[in-house]
Amino acid sequence: MNLDGIKEILDLVREHDLAEFELELDGLKIRVRKDSPVHFMPAPVPATPSPVMVAPTVAGPAGAVALAPEIAPLGDDEALELAVVKSPMVGTFYRAPEPGARPFVDVGTEVAKGQVLCIIEAMKLMNEIESEYDGEIVRVYVENGQPVQFGERLFAIKAR
Amino acid sequence: MTDVSAPLPDEFRQAVARHATELEGFARDVHYYEQAGSTNDLAAVLAGGGVPEGTVVLAAAQTAGRGRQRRQWHSPPGGGLYFSVVFRPRDAQVGDGDAGALLVAPQTSLLTLMAGEAVADGISRATGLEAALKWPNDLVVEAAAPACVSAWRKLGGILAEASVEGERVRHVIVGIGINVRPAAYPPEVRDRATSLESELGREVDAATVFAACLAALARGRSDLVEGRARLVLERWRRRAPSAVGRHVTWEGPDGPWHGVTRGVDDTGALLIEHEGRVVRVVAGDVLWT
Repeated sequence: MNLDGIKEILDLVREHDLAEFELELDGLKIRVRKDSPVHFMPAPVPATPSPVMVAPTVAGPAGAVALAPEIAPLGDDEALELAVVKSPMVGTFYRAPEPGARPFVDVGTEVAKGQVLCIIEAMKLMNEIESEYDGEIVRVYVENGQPVQFGERLFAIKAR
Repeated sequence: MTDVSAPLPDEFRQAVARHATELEGFARDVHYYEQAGSTNDLAAVLAGGGVPEGTVVLAAAQTAGRGRQRRQWHSPPGGGLYFSVVFRPRDAQVGDGDAGALLVAPQTSLLTLMAGEAVADGISRATGLEAALKWPNDLVVEAAAPACVSAWRKLGGILAEASVEGERVRHVIVGIGINVRPAAYPPEVRDRATSLESELGREVDAATVFAACLAALARGRSDLVEGRARLVLERWRRRAPSAVGRHVTWEGPDGPWHGVTRGVDDTGALLIEHEGRVVRVVAGDVLWT
């Protein structure tokens, strides 16, 4: 499976107006899904939802696909290796545990699965968002202290 | 900064036993420390190791007690009650993946409000003192005299910290600090702080307050996961007069905004009327002016 193959799949999905498509081939699993309704928060949907998501299979509950990390639309060859961490809630994004402290991660930081990437505060609940991947942070999308919406991009990780 | 563990003192053991029928498994296991860095940190380690929901870490003193954004929470020995409770998505400990979603929302968004209401209720049942809530879960006593430096004196605070992977909440640690005696806070904040004993003018049995708060937390937890969130909100609203019709300032997208509180919605967000429209606030500092 190469990039052209994936583009072909995306075209087929569009052409036939499929809501969801899944393919497993030689250990590579691809799931394409059109935007689904936001399940939980009665908050505004992010302003720029991707019409189609290509998600690497993630271990976890079957019901938790709404935020399956998408592939970042960056460079062509890199596209398959980047996972985008999205906000699972509406809240305030904090890159460090306290004002003035070093950020949990920065561009170039090697992260391990389970490592805390940031805190999102909602209703005074400090949600420590952990990495689902081993890899390197290649992009930080949000500034410290900014409000984030459900599904908004937070980080791109080049998974190892 | 060493954590010093010890057997749970008798008065706490007895108070928990007296509330056994209301605890629904909460406080079955209480890890007691004569001194701890932070009970939230110890509880997070225990939660990561798989302890069941309702496990409690209680400390007589904290050397690194903290509040929001790691502001120091003064926790000297003999001053207050400092304890943290492990919450989990129901059934997460038996490997039922989908059940994790139960705690994601709206229940998690209401968890901190529930905790504030439960602690206020526990204090009321144990001592008769009626604390008020300031959104989302500050425990306060409204000052009688308008000339006071601050309209409210803080009686206690709650710091809730969740571990989230993907959209799955693994656990939430709810840390609670209650000022029992004036020794709990430094003299320089006495205009803004108070304690159970200062308000009541008598000695208070901290162990009974502890057990009553845990019983109320267990009830609130059941209300949230069994579809009775409405009851939690009703109780919260009764204790939070400041959530309606009061002037507030908060950090808007372009600097401080001013408005008037218009209650909380069903997700627990504070509604504030600002320049003719109602804004939902879910995070950040809101100052009552």
